[in-house]
Amino acid sequence: MPARAGEPLAAALLAAGVQVFGRSLKYHRPRGPYCLQGHCSGCLMRVDGIPNVRTCQTAVRAGMVVERQRGWPSASFDAFRALDWLSGQGIDHHSMFTSSAATNRLAARFVRRLSGFGELPAGEPRPPAPVERWQRQVVVVGGGAAGLQAARELHRRGVRSTLFERQEVAGGRLLDGSDSAGGDGQGSWARLAELHRQLEGSENLELLPGTTVVAVYPGDRLQVVAVQERRTLVVEAERLLLACGDYEQVRLFEGSDLPGVFAVRAFDRLFYLHGVIPGEPVVLCGDSPRLLRLAGDLVAAGVEVAALVSGATRPPLPAGEGAFPLVPGRLPVRASGGRWIERLEIAPAPSEPADGLFDCGCLVSEYPPAPAYELAHHAGCRVDFDSACGFRVVVDDGGRTSNAAVFAAGHCTGAMSLEQALEAGRRAATGMAESLSGGSGRED
Amino acid sequence: MGKVIVCRCEDVTLEDLRQAFAAGHRDLESLKRFTGLSTGFCQGKCCAAHAGRFLAELRGGDDMVCDPTRTRPLLHPTPAACFAAIASGEAPDQEDA
Ligand code: FES
Repeated sequence: MPARAGEPLAAALLAAGVQVFGRSLKYHRPRGPYCLQGHCSGCLMRVDGIPNVRTCQTAVRAGMVVERQRGWPSASFDAFRALDWLSGQGIDHHSMFTSSAATNRLAARFVRRLSGFGELPAGEPRPPAPVERWQRQVVVVGGGAAGLQAARELHRRGVRSTLFERQEVAGGRLLDGSDSAGGDGQGSWARLAELHRQLEGSENLELLPGTTVVAVYPGDRLQVVAVQERRTLVVEAERLLLACGDYEQVRLFEGSDLPGVFAVRAFDRLFYLHGVIPGEPVVLCGDSPRLLRLAGDLVAAGVEVAALVSGATRPPLPAGEGAFPLVPGRLPVRASGGRWIERLEIAPAPSEPADGLFDCGCLVSEYPPAPAYELAHHAGCRVDFDSACGFRVVVDDGGRTSNAAVFAAGHCTGAMSLEQALEAGRRAATGMAESLSGGSGRED
Repeated sequence: MGKVIVCRCEDVTLEDLRQAFAAGHRDLESLKRFTGLSTGFCQGKCCAAHAGRFLAELRGGDDMVCDPTRTRPLLHPTPAACFAAIASGEAPDQEDA
């Protein structure tokens, strides 16, 4: 299979026309990538004998052996899918085969064969990674808009910080193609380049990409556990600034879990960064200016766009106006297809009957992302629920959380614009710098 | 009507949540324990917000009482080899927050 050096394995597979990456646990429904961000389970495959590898987070290499997991006789044609068709609204496993202990044991054994999570790794077990213990004054988690801007502000104030970024390239949202337009250096790529210039060679910033923070332990001194490819870091930190962003989501409706349904930023990366269109015609659902820009750019690139379905009754006109039908006041209600999305039905509201149908080779589904609140929750910070986005870290104007040593900024604290995320990063860094110098440090 | 899958890792449907709610599971932690919601590979990153909204709707638009489920390390599935070199007793303790 051909691939471009360095591109994510999942992008290479999609470009090569691979549709089913795996099968779901219970109903053996087809699964494929939808977040391209390393937070879902759609792209898991067995790579070079290692099960459950996130192919969207793995750079492609020549000679890789990539296999699908689960499914019989294979994940691309899986006979157990019949379970899904036969079960209608679902299987309530709580009361099945519980009448006698013997049938229960038998059923449990059968179910274990049916589901399970891939085969054990082949070959020698991986040797233990060396563990390093560090002490740092300030640790920043996340190198997106808020995290980079915070690092920049700390640098300006002469405070040293260590920034852990999960991806190999820092930037987060600033890397998105559909936000990159905008004159006067206001586009995201220009902003990223500017931040990069300001931080380049800074002695105050220790930037570690390819580093995933997996745990935070509160206590007299915070402990942050971060893993890299070949070593594990246990870092004692005086202050922690969480700028870990959010998780892309898609709108929920019947069949919205089919392969070929992508979150906006996942599709954005495929198109702008990797030049991959996983299917045509493309249907886009949502109202944001960036989605309209994306639609316009797709048309300009010669990609077939079937429609832009907008929940808003009077959406702003897209750049490529006239090049594709704009369908206002409608929401997607049903996606169908065998192994990949083939058709999309729309309706005036989720509870109303469908009144429109599109051939659909790929659906770009816009939905508010869910803040990454978990690390703050590890640290005992207060988290609340906002129906606009989900659970989020509660902060004040200065980015202070309910734990005096922990600050948070950007999309992990709720929905906001790129501009607001940058500003929040700056403010949290200011608040933190002040708390370190004892100025307006707050005890609670 | 086909299935609306809320939790893709564990194949939990909206209908599963509705039935669990009717059976008396009225907070996320309890829904999670009963249906398996948020217990899969992604640990709720794709479903917790959706489930929270649905729960709020079932309760009649009450956001305020929707707590997240207990969050525990690790944030992402991580090979055991990453921690195998940490001697027992040396691991950090998680204090109850
Ligand atoms: S984790 Fe790879 S597509 Fe979501």
